[in-house]
Amino acid sequence: MSGLTFTMLDTAKMSTAEIYGQALCGLGEEHPEIVGLSADLAKSTKIGAFGEKFPDRFFNVGIAEQNMFGMAAGLAKAGLVPYVSTFAIFTAMRGLDQVHTDICYQNLDVKMIATHAGLSFGQAGTTHHCTEDIAIMRSMANLTVVVPADGVETANAVRAAYERKGPVYIRINRGFDQVVYDGPDYGFEIGKAVTMRDGTDLTVIACGSTVWRAVEAAAMLEKSDGLKVRVLNMHTIKPIDAEAIERAVRETRRIITVEDHSVVGGLGGAVAEVAAGTGKSFSFKRLGVPDCFSIIGLHEDLLAHYGIDENGIAAAVREMMGKDFEADDDWEDEV
Amino acid sequence: MALTTEERRRLEDKAHELRLLSVDTVAWAGSGHVGGSMSAMDVMTILYHKYMRVDPKDPAKPDRDRFILSKGHVGVGYAPLLADLGYFDKELLREYNHTGSPLGMHLDSNKVRGVEASTGSLGHGLAIGLGMALGARLRGEAWKTFVLLGDGECDEGAVWESAMAAAHFKATNLITVVDRNHCMIDGPTEDVMALEPFADKWRAFGFEVIEADGHDFDALASAIERAMAATDKPVVIIADTIKGCGIDFIAGDYKWHYGGFDAEKLAKAKESLGLYHESRLAKGAER
Amino acid sequence: MGDDELYASRIFLGAALPLLKVLAVDHAGVRKGFAGKSGAVQVSALTGGREAVYGAPKIGAHFVVENGELRFEKGLAEGPDIELEFKSVAALNGFFSGKAMKLPRIRGALAKPGLLVATFKGLLAMSAALGATEPPAAEAERELVVKLYFYLLSSGISQLNKAGHPDVARWVAASPDRVYAWSVEGKPELSAYLRLKAGNSRAARGVYERSKPFFTMSFDSTESALGILMSIDDMVEATKAGRIIMKGAPEYGAAIGEYMMLVGAYAK
Repeated sequence: MSGLTFTMLDTAKMSTAEIYGQALCGLGEEHPEIVGLSADLAKSTKIGAFGEKFPDRFFNVGIAEQNMFGMAAGLAKAGLVPYVSTFAIFTAMRGLDQVHTDICYQNLDVKMIATHAGLSFGQAGTTHHCTEDIAIMRSMANLTVVVPADGVETANAVRAAYERKGPVYIRINRGFDQVVYDGPDYGFEIGKAVTMRDGTDLTVIACGSTVWRAVEAAAMLEKSDGLKVRVLNMHTIKPIDAEAIERAVRETRRIITVEDHSVVGGLGGAVAEVAAGTGKSFSFKRLGVPDCFSIIGLHEDLLAHYGIDENGIAAAVREMMGKDFEADDDWEDEV
Repeated sequence: MALTTEERRRLEDKAHELRLLSVDTVAWAGSGHVGGSMSAMDVMTILYHKYMRVDPKDPAKPDRDRFILSKGHVGVGYAPLLADLGYFDKELLREYNHTGSPLGMHLDSNKVRGVEASTGSLGHGLAIGLGMALGARLRGEAWKTFVLLGDGECDEGAVWESAMAAAHFKATNLITVVDRNHCMIDGPTEDVMALEPFADKWRAFGFEVIEADGHDFDALASAIERAMAATDKPVVIIADTIKGCGIDFIAGDYKWHYGGFDAEKLAKAKESLGLYHESRLAKGAER
Repeated sequence: MGDDELYASRIFLGAALPLLKVLAVDHAGVRKGFAGKSGAVQVSALTGGREAVYGAPKIGAHFVVENGELRFEKGLAEGPDIELEFKSVAALNGFFSGKAMKLPRIRGALAKPGLLVATFKGLLAMSAALGATEPPAAEAERELVVKLYFYLLSSGISQLNKAGHPDVARWVAASPDRVYAWSVEGKPELSAYLRLKAGNSRAARGVYERSKPFFTMSFDSTESALGILMSIDDMVEATKAGRIIMKGAPEYGAAIGEYMMLVGAYAK
């Protein structure tokens, strides 16, 4: 099959969805007020593991997302902490009125785990892709939006969500992610970007499945072009790490954002808002799905197709480094 | 248990008092959802003044019964009831809808003591109520959750998602009441989007249906008591009501879903309500 | 390596001579010398048989003094008031490196003697500052010498690139848009930097504001700076002791260090 960038040996490492399922079970043991909800997707979204362990605390509401999110709100009002899981597209669109009014407006402790985000459900097509949810969700007041880079980071996010007051939206893939982190203790903190590689030639800001790819691209670029590219894992889109963005603008002046999401309104938009506010000039490019509905295909192939895999990122970096930036007509030494 | 004469009298007087306060609030607000407030007032009055265990001094009391006004637009009917009970100062009603006021067209649970959920977007209340009811059961708590829906609201698919789920989860600690006033914004319900056979629909979704006259406290009492004792299926009380009841120039008129009263109309409304109250007392005395 | 005479001349005319402007501001004696003077001063050399290499029969640089303030301009002037014309580029190089004492042909001495004296005073001060073998005792003097060195080295590397010195030009040609800076902790007024991009180079004075420089060679004091610049201190020792702090990738520090030494070799 074309496009697979991992071997069968890797799949053992790559069942990272299980890591999140285990994390939730662990949390559930420590905190009896945690309950789980699913809309007939318990198996696909891995919250089924929680459901098996705590059947009394798990509600499968069938294919009825609006009811599910409303129920989650009611359960939260009764003093429980609901973890609600379904595909990203249904969280961000089908149930959005409930997410917005019942959960966000009333600032309830409902933790939404939205799976199969971006193009990760490749072959299922547009009806199941979700390349708009970051844009939608970050515009909801009171909502924390986290896009973890791999299974380990998802587990961290799931745990951090419990500690965090108010509604949380965690956006993940199907569960077959490249491994970015070896273990959970690398300093995960909501609202703080993780510097994967440092450098001052250019900054690539990525989230979710593009983080691994950005790191690969940066390694490639250092080896072949001698470039020192800073890579930031901006796992929290809201509240975004404005300080890290401002520092990137100040210290590198060139920013490329990359996300498994539309170029409209997602991570790119969020970064642009902060960067533009610094008042400093900088070169900027958003990589993502180019404001279109995607073709079908394997996730890896789609990422390559839309230029958001490691080769696409490297090409974008090279292009930006070659562009004229500041006054390039005056090359006289100052005397 | 049948209502005693005193109980019935007290409820009639209270409902009348609240209707008067409600039309005042409509006037102070400039305009409001008066039709649905009038039709729902008896249901809300009997729930709060006879059956629900609440403490206005302690709105967060863990074992309190919950009420969700899913037809959240009738805030001008609900707020007076809460104020009258002592959840907040009655004077606040004078600022209803004013800029910066905590009281607005749709009551906000973040801002108004006693309000359990911020409703207004129709179709949400039953899901939230179901979540609460299941939460109570999970925590082993005995309090009940009452949800009041509008009939037009039952066009929303989400309502039926929640109904299906309530039956599936056997949420008998959830008591649903529909304010069946047969009107919505654009006309009578049966003209806009026919709901009949309405009771059959609820039965088909696994509910026990009790149909009652929504302006007869005895009928309501009997229905609510049966609902609260349910153990097998969740209960829905379809309260047959008159939109804008008690005010002769708006009763039964869908156009008065939302409106305003000038000084003259306000006086007329109150006069009409007074006569209505008397006729209700007379009917009650016959029992 | 390549055309050393050409490279040396570019360093003297393009990097060293312009330091007079700094001395005219910061050095009391030089400042006094130029005070109230006006006119154009040119330093030039005849290329003789090597006209093909230099592209003209005469090369040089000049500066204009206006009421004590110096302003450097490119190339040769039309009728300068004072001109120091060397017989050959080798002679110019020899004079500036202090190896040859042969004076150039001097024009305009009678018309503007004061300006000529001021110029020589400046050149002597420069030679004294850059030729010292140990750091001056006073901090103010040390600051001036550090500044002169930073400016000389940054412009020197840039001039070598522009002149086509094979090592330097190759390095600059391969470089993406990057800035290399020199600084002393806590004394931004002494900073200098060099911007490179795909073959182009520009040396500038002061702190580079637009972004964080790709590499900064930073010294913890003027003494530490002079220790290295005057080749008294050992690079490794100084780094270990924290007298010199390389901010950025260390392998680039090595490259920059190498080119600094190259400039030094031509200038001495």
